[in-house]
Amino acid sequence: MLLEVENLTKNFGGLAAVNDFDIQVAEGEIVGLIGPNGAGKSTVFNLITGVFKPTAGRIVFDGRDITRKQPEQVARLGIGRTFQLNPLFHEFTVLENVTSSFELHPHSSLFDTFFGTRKYRRNEAFIQEKAQEILELVGLSEEAGELAKNLAHGHQKMLGVARALATKPRLLLLDEPLAGMNPGEIQYSLDAIRDMRDNGITVLIVEHNMQILSLCDRVVVISFGKKITEGLPEEVRANAEVISAYFGADYVC
Amino acid sequence: MVAALLIVLALLPLGISGSYYMHVLILAFIYVVISSSWRVVSISGQFNIAIGAFMGIGAYAAAIPNVWLDWSPWITIPLGAVAAAILGAALAFPFARLRTIYYAMGTLFLGYVVINLITAGGKTTGMSTGLGGVQPLFSDRKYYYYLTLGLMIVSMICMYRFEFSRIGVRMKAVAQSHQVAASVGIGERRTRILAVAFGSFFAGLMGAVYCHYQGVASPSSYGLAATLWIIMYILVGGINSFWGPTVGVGILLIVPEFFFRDLKGDLPYVTAAILLIIAFTMPEGIVGLLKLIRDRVVARLRRKEVGTDAAGS
Repeated sequence: MLLEVENLTKNFGGLAAVNDFDIQVAEGEIVGLIGPNGAGKSTVFNLITGVFKPTAGRIVFDGRDITRKQPEQVARLGIGRTFQLNPLFHEFTVLENVTSSFELHPHSSLFDTFFGTRKYRRNEAFIQEKAQEILELVGLSEEAGELAKNLAHGHQKMLGVARALATKPRLLLLDEPLAGMNPGEIQYSLDAIRDMRDNGITVLIVEHNMQILSLCDRVVVISFGKKITEGLPEEVRANAEVISAYFGADYVC
Repeated sequence: MVAALLIVLALLPLGISGSYYMHVLILAFIYVVISSSWRVVSISGQFNIAIGAFMGIGAYAAAIPNVWLDWSPWITIPLGAVAAAILGAALAFPFARLRTIYYAMGTLFLGYVVINLITAGGKTTGMSTGLGGVQPLFSDRKYYYYLTLGLMIVSMICMYRFEFSRIGVRMKAVAQSHQVAASVGIGERRTRILAVAFGSFFAGLMGAVYCHYQGVASPSSYGLAATLWIIMYILVGGINSFWGPTVGVGILLIVPEFFFRDLKGDLPYVTAAILLIIAFTMPEGIVGLLKLIRDRVVARLRRKEVGTDAAGS
């Protein structure tokens, strides 16, 4: 297993946002974590990436315990992520958003950077080139010179993905990648996510849009911080009655 | 243009040797570095209201060993810079938990604490009257002029490298969103501590030079008033521009002392008027305004070009 989460619990005051939650993700899988708003999906992401510290439980990534690691350490170990809200460096251009995310590969030391050594210049040239490639991949080449804050919402989301890809993640956590997108953008995003997996990136997606089911190898359903069911997309879909009981009819396709 | 300016500055002492104007320029060089060092910390989102105190740490770290242990100024000046950088990093560690206005408030109190510690230092620090008898470096003011000019050039080159390399990108990323920065592997605390250590080095360096030049280190030079003057230089020149603090020092320090000395007691009113005009009409300072004008002109020229192209074809 690439990612193993066991008995994860997070209390905010007296409220259990996540309660005794388990999830496993194998290398090369696309796993969906679905549930209604407020079910604790994003909290699970924030726990995995070290933004919040769990009240109890264990998070193991690639055989290494990352339960109490800082967010930047988690990123360094190979977990990339996007954010539901505020996903960007707003005052940077689209291209700068991506180049500034190349913090890890290749890395220039402070000495190299300050004195602008040959190694630093070579790294920077490499980064410029790679950043352009990533922008092409997510379809934002034309907007490279725009300020990130001026982008349309769907494009901002794709830029968030581009930023995460720049860290060369082994596991990519996508937080509601489809929220606020129009049907055309949704189709584009689904294709893009499939491409990433085919390029060897394991993907864990949080979503409440059920269109994501078509993409997933496995789906975990969470409600009120607890796992209520898990299985293949068809099984979960077939379980629709159970789900509608939990979520209300709106969440059933 | 920068080269021409440097040549003028290098030759200036021949024309104004020994005069009061040279003293003003020495102070200007010192404050260009100190206010630029404040700005270089601010790009990481830290608005430090204790910059005067860091200057003071540099000054006392130089003055105390010089006065009491007879260390040479050539050792105590670098010592002042290094002491300010180390103390800056140590103090930045707990302060990295604070952001925005809370950081500013925290550093405001920090400034008070440092000044009060200095004043409470007994004979060692000279208490509120200051520590006199700091050994001068030179007997001729001209040499101070060249020393501060040289230090200013080197410091500005260092700060330029810092800001316009990947280090500066990291700083600006953390300032915009520490969460997004962390998600790509840029640690907020580390980045912010580095910024403070780097900036404090130059504030401490110039604080040490200043006290050897004045022959005295006194707490009143490093309090809140000093800090506010430095911040005014930066805001007037333009906080978002590398050359903003330099221009600000030129407008608020050099121009009044060179051209409006006759006003004497009325000078603060002139300064206040300049500040108000800039605060209301140029939120990005003078350099910000110049950039805006440049962008407009470029846009207009480009439109014209497109216009003639279209007409020609």
